[in-house]
Amino acid sequence: MLNLIKLLLPALFPSWRFFDVIAPSPRVEHVLIDDPKDEGENWQESRPTPQYIVPLDCFKAFFWNAGWNETLYMSTCAERLVQNPMELNRREIRRRIRAGLLRKNGDHATPRYFRFRLIFVSRQGGMLRRDIAFVSPAYLCIDPLDQ
Amino acid sequence: MSVEAAIRLTEILLSIALIQQSLEHIFGLPDERGHYLVRLFLAALLISGIQSQWVCVALFVNALFILKRFQGPYNGGSDLLSLLMIFCLSLAHMMPSSLWQEYVFGYLALQVTFSYFKSGWSKVIQRDWRSGRALEDVFAFSAYPASEVIRTWAAWPRLLCAMSWAVILFELLFPLAFITRSALIAGLTIALSFHVANFYLFGFNRFVWVWVAAFPSLLWLQARLNPLAWI
Repeated sequence: MLNLIKLLLPALFPSWRFFDVIAPSPRVEHVLIDDPKDEGENWQESRPTPQYIVPLDCFKAFFWNAGWNETLYMSTCAERLVQNPMELNRREIRRRIRAGLLRKNGDHATPRYFRFRLIFVSRQGGMLRRDIAFVSPAYLCIDPLDQ
Repeated sequence: MSVEAAIRLTEILLSIALIQQSLEHIFGLPDERGHYLVRLFLAALLISGIQSQWVCVALFVNALFILKRFQGPYNGGSDLLSLLMIFCLSLAHMMPSSLWQEYVFGYLALQVTFSYFKSGWSKVIQRDWRSGRALEDVFAFSAYPASEVIRTWAAWPRLLCAMSWAVILFELLFPLAFITRSALIAGLTIALSFHVANFYLFGFNRFVWVWVAAFPSLLWLQARLNPLAWI
C-alpha cells in the first residue's frame, strides 16, 4: 500500500521537469546463443530505430504507436534496472525481447538461448561513449511460463 | 463555459485518449491486456455519460492497478497527466457544491499550466539548455529521436539553439496567455503545434491526445478568472 502511494504521489503532485538534464541514454541489446554458458558475440540492438518514417506511417503512428511506446518503456525499465535492480524490470525487458524473437522467428527458436545487455550512451567531450551497465544471464528463447 | 460543461468536455476528450492508449496494449503482454480491456470498456462508458461519477472512480482504481503493474508510469508524463485527470474528475464528482468542484477542476488547470511553466523554468536554469547543447544531446544520443534521419538534426547546432529558446520562451510565457481568451486560444494553438512537433520528432503520440484533453480546463479557468475584469 505504501509503495502504491509512493507511485501515486508523483502523478498527483507532478514535478513537470521534462528533459531538464540529458542523462546517459540506455540501449537494449541481445545476443542469441546455443549454450547458456556462452558469453555471446553478435549483439544486436533489440529495438533498432528506423532509418526513416514515411509520411503515411507517421500519420498511422499518431493513432497507433504501440511498438515505439514499448521501446520507450524498455528504456525506462533499463534506467530503473540500473538505479534499483528489481526483478520486475529485468523481467519486463526479457519478456519483451522474447516476444520480439517469437514474432520474428516463430516457435522454431534456433539458437535456444539469449542474453540481453544494457548499454548507456553519453557524451564525453566531443565524442559519444558507450558503457555496458548490465549483462543478463542466459534465458530460454521459448519459455511458456515466462511469456 | 460552466464548470459542469468543462468537466463533461474533459471527460469525453480524456476517454478518447484512454481508448487510444488502451488499443495500443491490446496486443501487448498477456498480463497487461486485462487492465487495458477494462480501461477500454470504462472509457467507452465515460463517453456515454452514464453514471460518470462511478465510472471515474472505477477508472481511478483501474489506473492504480496499471501503476502497480508497471511499478510507475508506462509512458512517462502522458500517463501521469492521465492519472491526474482521472483523479481530479473523480474528486470533482464527489464534491458537495459547484464551488468545490471549481477548486478541484482549477487544481487540474493549474497543474497543466505548471506542466509548461515548470518545464520551461527547469530548462532555463540549465546552461546546456540555454546554449542549445542539451537539445543537441537529445538528438545525438538519447533514445527519443523517432528515426535515424531525425537523429542527424544533432548536426545543426544553431537550429537547435533557436529551437531550445523557442521552447523555453513558449513554456515560460504560457501563463501569460490567461490574460485574454484570444491570447489563450493562441497559446493553446502553439501548445498543440509543440505537442505535434514532439510527436513527429520523438514519437510521443500519447502526449498529444492527453494534453489536448486537458485544454478545456484551461479555457474554463481563463473564463472564470477573467483577469482583464480585475483592471
